[in-house]
Amino acid sequence: MNVIESTALGKRYRRKWALRDCTLDIPGGHIVALVGPNGAGKTTLLTMAVGLTRPTEGSVTVLGGMPAGAPDALDGIAFVAQDAPLYRNLPVTDMLRVARKLNRRWDQCRADDRLDRLGIPLRQKVGELSGGQKAQLALTIALARRPGLLVLDEPLAALDPVARDDFMASVAEAARDDDISVVLSSHVLAELERVATYLIVLTRGQVQVAGSVKELLASHGAGLEEIALRHLRAGTPTTSGRDTPR
Amino acid sequence: MTTGTTTADQKMTATLPPVPWAHLGWVTLRQRRGAIIGVSALLGLIAAYLVVMAIIQNNAYAAVTACHPAAAVKCRQLAQAFSADYWGGDSSALQSGGAQTVSSLMFAVPVLLGAFVGAPLISRELETGTFRFAWTQGAGRTRWAVSTLVLPALLLTAVTGAFTALFYWYFRPFLADGQVSEFLPLAFGLLGVVFAAWTLFAYALAAFTGTLFRRTIPAMAVTLIVYIVLAIATATSIRPHYATPMVESGWDHPAGSGWGISSWIDAPDGQRLRPGAVYSLVPARVQNSQSPDAFTNWLTSHGYTLWQSWQPDSRFWQFQLTEGGWLLVVSALLIGGAVAVIRRRGA
Repeated sequence: MNVIESTALGKRYRRKWALRDCTLDIPGGHIVALVGPNGAGKTTLLTMAVGLTRPTEGSVTVLGGMPAGAPDALDGIAFVAQDAPLYRNLPVTDMLRVARKLNRRWDQCRADDRLDRLGIPLRQKVGELSGGQKAQLALTIALARRPGLLVLDEPLAALDPVARDDFMASVAEAARDDDISVVLSSHVLAELERVATYLIVLTRGQVQVAGSVKELLASHGAGLEEIALRHLRAGTPTTSGRDTPR
Repeated sequence: MTTGTTTADQKMTATLPPVPWAHLGWVTLRQRRGAIIGVSALLGLIAAYLVVMAIIQNNAYAAVTACHPAAAVKCRQLAQAFSADYWGGDSSALQSGGAQTVSSLMFAVPVLLGAFVGAPLISRELETGTFRFAWTQGAGRTRWAVSTLVLPALLLTAVTGAFTALFYWYFRPFLADGQVSEFLPLAFGLLGVVFAAWTLFAYALAAFTGTLFRRTIPAMAVTLIVYIVLAIATATSIRPHYATPMVESGWDHPAGSGWGISSWIDAPDGQRLRPGAVYSLVPARVQNSQSPDAFTNWLTSHGYTLWQSWQPDSRFWQFQLTEGGWLLVVSALLIGGAVAVIRRRGA
């Protein structure tokens, strides 16, 4: 099952195309790293997949064919936007209650356990948490929703190296324990290398390379970062469209 | 650890009911805690002042009504003193110092409340980026938008509607005294249903512009300007036309009180005089006369007729409901428009 599937997807903001003619399949059961330079259209692609933005042209479906933004799609996808936007003026407990009341599925024990283990103070206001704690809180809320797909947009951008490492470990653990698919975007690959099992390199909305990390490493005989770099430099598609290795 | 495959989870959710309105309402109230405190503080202060003044005024007025015989010089002086002290002098309403000034200032309350509560509702989410959280939860953005926009509207309308009772108490001596018609623009906006209706309108306008502009401060500014223009236009040009005014000839104010709309003078040949033209007609000798009736007597004896149009007090509720009604319709359209914009909005 493909967790995200787009066909000739395009999005124009006023005159400028943020994404154009993007056709790709993102398979489930992976931790997918969506990599590309700034302005490659990663965020635009993800916001359309989670139903925040409507495509200008083309279409995008999620979780095996559901239209993006449909009620069941909203239930099944937990999205953490860049900088993990949460209500800064609320204490952590109230932020959790807000999320619980806004969802049909909610696992309070899971949330309580995680926050307890992370040592995030429940009385503290969200705006007073450290960047790492805030990212972990956003991840906790996302996981408490028991999603089939977790979408993280640039989750590491605002974090220091230790927080990045902890965060990626949490994501890997959640993917394994909860059996969920993960798609995360980044313009830096180093932190993703250890946990990503599938790589998609995107430049200007075009898929430059897509494949399981294991196969890519075997066929290219180079590190993941080098593979990505090579494709970003070349800017020429090696695999495009639907010939993703399955 | 595993809860089953994703497809099994989806089958499960398909049978789940939508997120209950009570849950969304809790979220809305929690989000609006600051606004609730702010509105309570402002209305609480005003209410405290109105209660104190209402007690003082009603007591003072009780002394006026207790005075017998009412026609006695002593009693008339008492009534005049009451009016001067508490209603205020004949200077402009804002400078009179009495209830005229207070009720003039109260005209700012609906737009202040509406802009303060309505403008940040959606615009803050868009400014801070938290809409990307709110609109991707299982409740869906339409339900979220309806709860976020409608619940504060209901609360604000209910609170300001109840607040009108205080104005009635505060105004009672003046209304009973007959010197103030509840139809006067000064009183009309605070009594009946229109105080709540104007507050609702300001709120809906601020919420809509906030959604459209994505910015809180510009939404507040535009709300303020549009509100002031519309409120003045309504009192001067729209409200008088809710019903055809009564028209009567004569120099005495017809039927006691009511809301005077306009007056004009017809010449003996039936031609309407230009405003002010009458002063060039009447001889200076008559104009400077000590007798107050000399002016009108001269005009009557020379065949001129004064016409007056006015809205009688009996139409008060008809006018209240007309104005409340169209404000309610416009507010509902604005709130519906905001929901529609949210549904269509991209990120």
